[in-house]
Amino acid sequence: MPDLSVQLNRLRLPNPILVASGTFGYAREMVAYADFRQLGGIIPKTVTPQPRPGNPTPRTVETAGGMLNSIGLDNDGLETFIAKHVQPLLSLGAPIIANVAGKNTDEFVAMARRLDEFPQLAALELNISCPNVSGGVDYGTDPGMAAEVVSAVRGATSLPVIAKLTPNVTSVPLIAKAVADAGADAVSLVNTIQGMAIDWRRRKPVLGNGLGGLSGPAIKPVALRIVWQVAQAVSVPIIGVGGIQSIDDVMEFLVAGATAVQVGTANFYNPTLATNLVGELAVLLTELGCDRVADVVGTLEFPVRR
Amino acid sequence: MSTCEMLDLGLPGVVADGLQVAATVLLNEPMATNTWRMRLGSPELAERMRPGQFFMARPVGLSDPLLGRPFALFDTQMDESGRPVSIDFGYVVVGKLTRWLSQCAIGTQVSVWGPLGNGFGPPAGNHLAIVAGGIGQTPFLPVIRQLLGLQTYGAAPSPAWPKPARISFCYGARSQSYLAGVADFELPGVDVRLATDDGTRGHRGYVTEVLDELLASADLPTSVFCCGPEGMMRATARRCRDAGVPCWVSLETPMACGFGACFSCVTPVRQPQGDWDYRRVCVEGPVFRAEDLVWEQGI
Ligand SMILES: Cc1cc2nc3c(=O)[nH]c(=O)nc-3n(C[C@H](O)[C@H](O)[C@H](O)COP(=O)(O)OP(=O)(O)OC[C@H]3O[C@@H](n4cnc5c(N)ncnc54)[C@H](O)[C@@H]3O)c2cc1C
Ligand SMILES: Cc1cc2nc3c(=O)[nH]c(=O)nc-3n(C[C@H](O)[C@H](O)[C@H](O)COP(=O)(O)O)c2cc1C
Ligand code: FES
Repeated sequence: MPDLSVQLNRLRLPNPILVASGTFGYAREMVAYADFRQLGGIIPKTVTPQPRPGNPTPRTVETAGGMLNSIGLDNDGLETFIAKHVQPLLSLGAPIIANVAGKNTDEFVAMARRLDEFPQLAALELNISCPNVSGGVDYGTDPGMAAEVVSAVRGATSLPVIAKLTPNVTSVPLIAKAVADAGADAVSLVNTIQGMAIDWRRRKPVLGNGLGGLSGPAIKPVALRIVWQVAQAVSVPIIGVGGIQSIDDVMEFLVAGATAVQVGTANFYNPTLATNLVGELAVLLTELGCDRVADVVGTLEFPVRR
Repeated sequence: MSTCEMLDLGLPGVVADGLQVAATVLLNEPMATNTWRMRLGSPELAERMRPGQFFMARPVGLSDPLLGRPFALFDTQMDESGRPVSIDFGYVVVGKLTRWLSQCAIGTQVSVWGPLGNGFGPPAGNHLAIVAGGIGQTPFLPVIRQLLGLQTYGAAPSPAWPKPARISFCYGARSQSYLAGVADFELPGVDVRLATDDGTRGHRGYVTEVLDELLASADLPTSVFCCGPEGMMRATARRCRDAGVPCWVSLETPMACGFGACFSCVTPVRQPQGDWDYRRVCVEGPVFRAEDLVWEQGI
């Protein structure tokens, strides 16, 4: 039996299969379909300081091989999250990584300070990449501001800090370098890719919010490319996310340079997948004769131009 | 904290013993214009589904269509020992996945997960009126069977529902050729009242006009159950509010997961404080008291 545990700076996880924020509810919804104890980590829906009703409907629409969403961070706010969800989540037997989003550095810091009261949390993931929230500063597209948030949060909590980055920039390695230098223990790559669906007969966008974020198998090539680029340029542990729906997809991300992965949209249409992947990974690593996950991480042989 | 305690947070439609299986198509036949009945072999699902609950279905191993689509329980079949072994659902071909369903050969594997949603409870009083339109009639066959004591549903059979003295089944469609499965509902104790827009069968006009007749009669319904197009449900809710009759509606909001993970299926629901909040139809519904809903087009 290979050792599935992985280390991302200060964050140690029992295995590299996590479930992505916004695609696993608050976990209790998945009780019939997932074996929480098996998962490498659970990242509940993004929490904001105050309650947010979220965007008008329709909030999702299927597209070829993927889906667009504009949920708009529908959540009941940090205090309700703490009162209602934190203890039940911590009782599930998987590492819990709280995902937070604020409008400015002060909001991120205040949330980090409050969640620091729960040292049983495995880490904080900073959603500095949500394309659905207007009114806030778009931290994820500016290396300086992304670094500012990360370093301020590092000062406010002793929990490991993960920065979740947006693919909607010219150079993700630039942002990844900035947050790594600011003290991020890891980066999650990627959040959804901005897109839209149009009902041309009505001359209207399909989504109530007009624009949305693309996810699912359709974005896997983009996510793989970004993981690989960041792995080449920055020495920060990477959590790969985007379109994973099979063990081969998991291996592709690991080989590209990710130390762990998150399953997102696939939870919606294959809710037992994430649990199954853990066992499948152990079998596959054994077949490959690998003792550790690290044996395959970043092993891509990129063609060298002569 | 046990799993059950963990679940008890106002989400009646989180079904702790749900499951995902690959079910086999056993039957796939036309029921009416553009409307089909599919039978899926899955004892696990068949023995768990209760009236008004739904399940999600998608092709095994394809990425397009990608997401599951919700369908309501229409019927359950038993083997000789009385064990539920398969389920039927009715579907109208409207888009990508339903088109794929209509082309499925016997033996095709369909990925399904469920049961999902809260389902209907026993109605109040002694006269249940059902108002159904579109493909919204299918959930009511198991409701009626359970009420008449013909069948119980669910892994741990719920306590027998008190049998109402009367069930009025009001069902409307565009035209006679769109009425699907009417014969299934012609059971002793069920007063079937049809309506078609063009008058080719039953009342000419809307099914809500059939409800109007009932609401004006001496034998006023004591409960109304409703499922169908949004406009029809809104009209039914308005009539029931005006007549002071409790009304439950089963919403057909588009869904991406069916179990509460994605927050795409939300509808505005009245809150105790008097304002409203978006709530997930898949885990807080799909059956709601009509008065709890904020009808976005106004009621
Ligand atoms: C609880 C519940 C139970 C249900 N039970 C049943 C049932 O028993 N039987 C049944 O037939 N249905 C039922 N439905 C409805 C059913 O789920 C939908 O009809 C189904 O999801 C359609 O899937 P599709 O892939 O065929 O259509 P899709 O391709 O998803 O399209 C759905 C609708 O949206 C429109 N549409 C799609 N894409 C666009 C676009 N880009 N722009 C504008 N319009 C677009 C289509 O024209 C179509 O009308 C139920 C729904 C719910 C919520
Ligand atoms: C419906 C939906 C809601 C999401 N909500 C969040 C969220 O609240 N916070 C967040 O950081 N990411 C959110 N995401 C992004 C996912 O976590 C993930 O980064 C993205 O979907 C790409 O992975 P996938 O292709 O496997 O889904 C959401 C994605 C979807 C589809
Ligand atoms: S369909 Fe996903 S939350 Fe209801």
